[in-house]
Amino acid sequence: MERYKYKKRRPVACNWFDVLNIAFMVLFALLILYPFYNSVLVSFTPQTDYIKTPFMLYPKNLTLDSYYIVFESKVIFTGLGVTLVVTVLGVIYNMFLTLLMAYAFNREFPGKKFFLYAVIFTMYFNGGLIPYYLLIKDLGLMDTISSMILPTGISIMYMTVMRKYFAALPEELTESAKMDGASEFTILFRIILPLSLPMVVTFALYYGIERWNEWWNGMLFIKSAFKQPLQLVLRGIIQSTGAQVMSSHLQEAGIVPFSDGVKMASIVVTMTPVMCLYPFLQRYFVQGLAIGAVKG
Amino acid sequence: MSGSTLRTIRQMRRKKPLRQRIWENRYIYLLLLPGLLFFIIFKYVPIYGLQLAFKRYQVNLGINMSPWNGVDNFRLLFVDGDFWKSVRNTLVIAYLQILLFFPFPILLSILLNEVRQTRLKKVVQTIYTLPHFLSWVIVSGMVLNMLSSNGAINNLLAVMGLERVQFLTNKSVFRQLLVLLLTWKESGWSCILYLAAITAIDPSLYEAATIDGANRWHKIRFITWPGISMIVVVTLILRIGSIMDAGFEQIINIYNPTVYEVADIIDTYVYRITFQRPANFGVSTAVGLFKGLTNCILLLTTNWICVRISGTGIV
Repeated sequence: MERYKYKKRRPVACNWFDVLNIAFMVLFALLILYPFYNSVLVSFTPQTDYIKTPFMLYPKNLTLDSYYIVFESKVIFTGLGVTLVVTVLGVIYNMFLTLLMAYAFNREFPGKKFFLYAVIFTMYFNGGLIPYYLLIKDLGLMDTISSMILPTGISIMYMTVMRKYFAALPEELTESAKMDGASEFTILFRIILPLSLPMVVTFALYYGIERWNEWWNGMLFIKSAFKQPLQLVLRGIIQSTGAQVMSSHLQEAGIVPFSDGVKMASIVVTMTPVMCLYPFLQRYFVQGLAIGAVKG
Repeated sequence: MSGSTLRTIRQMRRKKPLRQRIWENRYIYLLLLPGLLFFIIFKYVPIYGLQLAFKRYQVNLGINMSPWNGVDNFRLLFVDGDFWKSVRNTLVIAYLQILLFFPFPILLSILLNEVRQTRLKKVVQTIYTLPHFLSWVIVSGMVLNMLSSNGAINNLLAVMGLERVQFLTNKSVFRQLLVLLLTWKESGWSCILYLAAITAIDPSLYEAATIDGANRWHKIRFITWPGISMIVVVTLILRIGSIMDAGFEQIINIYNPTVYEVADIIDTYVYRITFQRPANFGVSTAVGLFKGLTNCILLLTTNWICVRISGTGIV
């Protein structure tokens, strides 16, 4: 049906407006893609080529030197380890808190409105940097992995979308389960969650990407180099200048790394996991936002 | 029916006393508890900590026991030229964002909706959303390389016979550059919201309009635009309600001391005075309170104006 419609319409859609519009769309898409292409390009280019070529559209010689240096250095791997721990534990923590709250707010109970407003209020007003910093300090979380996990708990937007998802499930399910004497926990874990599996996976991925991209808590609270998350390690590499990049035994051996190449290679390594997950995510993202937008 | 009868009916319906209804829902409260604890500890405790704005912080005494010092922190703050510079920069950058970035996703969604090649539409939309999922750390890395004096953009300028531009240290283009980067990163994502609203428009409206001889412009003007205008209003209110945020994560990763003059915003200022100098936590908290209150007041004001004018608001 869909395809039929599309074929039928096609001849109509060819006036000057369409041509210009499509040209604009494609041009903007290329503009979005170019920085990615540039990074990948530089990461595979030998330094000599990079300096000599006036403007590089495609590579003449390829080299893996930059990647070699990135994988040689330990910092990327310790960062990766920390980020993996933070992401896995963090997402479990996020999902636990968010699912329970979304489910609870989907029900009617005395005081619901008060609690809901209290939660939403924090979207518009917060304590700011210093009280937050001192709180983490007072909790004794300084320089701990927990300082990157615990403070990010519930995204109110995700919680709202989940709540709407739960609300759209047929009510008879919970009603009949209640008749049979099932507790709220049984209903949530045995009936609601299995039915919501695609939604649960989607939000776990959302949170996962956020965790993967997190660096700010690490920058504030982490002092030991070996506890730095990947993004913070990457930030260190990017913000360093010239030959400081990844000062390792390579430099002692007289190999001066091509700093731009190493920077770009680190970027490519860091963003690859997100890029691989992205195509799967996109559809659900759009759906999730659509629910939130239309009803919210 | 008289008022008293109504009241009796209500009372009859709400037969169960409050205590009983709470008891019946005890498991729901239990489910709510972990989330509430999170909000209390990580959101409300810092709000309670805002009292530090009126105190002289002493490490050994903590927030609670530190002595009050009235509005001294604000007095210190308001004589600091760097603070006012950061306020001005924040407002200018936020204003540029609303002026240049804000309309773009709206335009993009309307144009995307006009693309009839479904596959092309899907592909470009996927591409547009992509940068949103990368951190500003990664984006800054890619951009710092491209814009450096021997980066791709300058090489292109040189090949075309133009002069190289020091984008990253040039005070006159840096703010525009920030907005441009924001447009690059977030347009596709913001666009989804508007597209969702467009999808919710009843297709029969378009069909009826076609039969009545409406051209494409008419349809955009009289069907698509009214369909998304409410979401546009809501997004605008929210944006103005966070006018004191001009993109901390972006700026702290891209800027450098040469452009502090034009790009040091409130958040980066707080960060600098707290973590890159001997800190005065009281003053830093005062900045936070000033910022939070301004945002709140602006949010409520814009909301009030929008409700007055168009009948739509968020609160």
